[in-house]
Amino acid sequence: MTDASAPSQGTPHEVLAGLGDLTRRVRVAQRGTWFPLLLLGVLTLGGILVDRFTFKVETVACPAGEAAAGSGCTLVTQGSAVYWPLGLALAYAATAFFYIRRSRNRGVGTRVRPYVLTGIVLVALASATAMWSLRHGMPQLGEPLDFWGLHLDPTSGVTRFLERLAGNAMAVGLPLLVLAWVERSRALLLLAVVYLAIELVPLSTGWAGIPFTSPWSALPTFGIPGVLLLLSALGFGLAELSGRRNAS
Amino acid sequence: MTDQPEQHPITGLDDVVHQRVRLGILTVAHQARRVEFGFLRTALGLTAGNLSQHLSVLEKAGLVEIEKGYEGKRARTWLSLTPAGERALRDEVTQLKRLIHQIEHGSSAPEA
Repeated sequence: MTDASAPSQGTPHEVLAGLGDLTRRVRVAQRGTWFPLLLLGVLTLGGILVDRFTFKVETVACPAGEAAAGSGCTLVTQGSAVYWPLGLALAYAATAFFYIRRSRNRGVGTRVRPYVLTGIVLVALASATAMWSLRHGMPQLGEPLDFWGLHLDPTSGVTRFLERLAGNAMAVGLPLLVLAWVERSRALLLLAVVYLAIELVPLSTGWAGIPFTSPWSALPTFGIPGVLLLLSALGFGLAELSGRRNAS
Repeated sequence: MTDQPEQHPITGLDDVVHQRVRLGILTVAHQARRVEFGFLRTALGLTAGNLSQHLSVLEKAGLVEIEKGYEGKRARTWLSLTPAGERALRDEVTQLKRLIHQIEHGSSAPEA
């Protein structure tokens, strides 16, 4: 048996090219992108059901200064303070377990630690925010939002952008960026950028024909990124399978 | 006082590291951080005996650490680079790049 896969003992160019090829092969064996994408996709789509079952419409007195002050305003509340912190914690724990197990089976180490550390920080932040909102209660209609020293006007564009940034863009988009760096994957970097663009662009449910008073109003907000993540999981899974077949 | 002549990059290549199989072992271990004997054997297309010989050379030079253990009933050997191994690989790649620069430009090479 010859050692044909070792770097060639030719010119320095050939030796360096051989080392680059070996590095690429190790990276292919280390990758498991499809799994965290699948979990994050399922978690995101699960948000639709959570919002559906926690959906509540109330008629409350309109705040002073509004055109309809004194008459009734519709207040829609939905979402769970527990779902995202718990779901993210489980997803990161499962991802860490998956990568460690694969590392043992394949005999090649993994660099997943930065991804899991990012996850732990995000779960801690999500839990702190959930505890904060449980302790302070939801702000009354028309009142400024006092959040960790920031006095935010709930109707301003900046507040809405910050809400989007602090939502799934942070919980899912940031870990995708870290994973793209960990796995040295340009395809995943592209996916992370597309995902962040979708999350940060203001989406109203009107275009989908679903009014905000509908129990399914979260469908487009979670449905589009959720389906994107699931389709990407499928694509990365097939690409990894094909890469392994070619390598063997 | 006379200037010291610049050393040719070829003199900076370490024979222990420059051997192509050992260079491959160091590269795989650097990327993987920790790599199992079987993966290394397949990735480099070596026999177990040949790989063991090269690992002994690298271990004696203090460039790799070898850890033997069991997973269930299966014996497994894991290998990782020592800080000296990381340095040696980095130096080797730097010297190779200098050598390429020298060949292409025929003058002093950049420090990578």
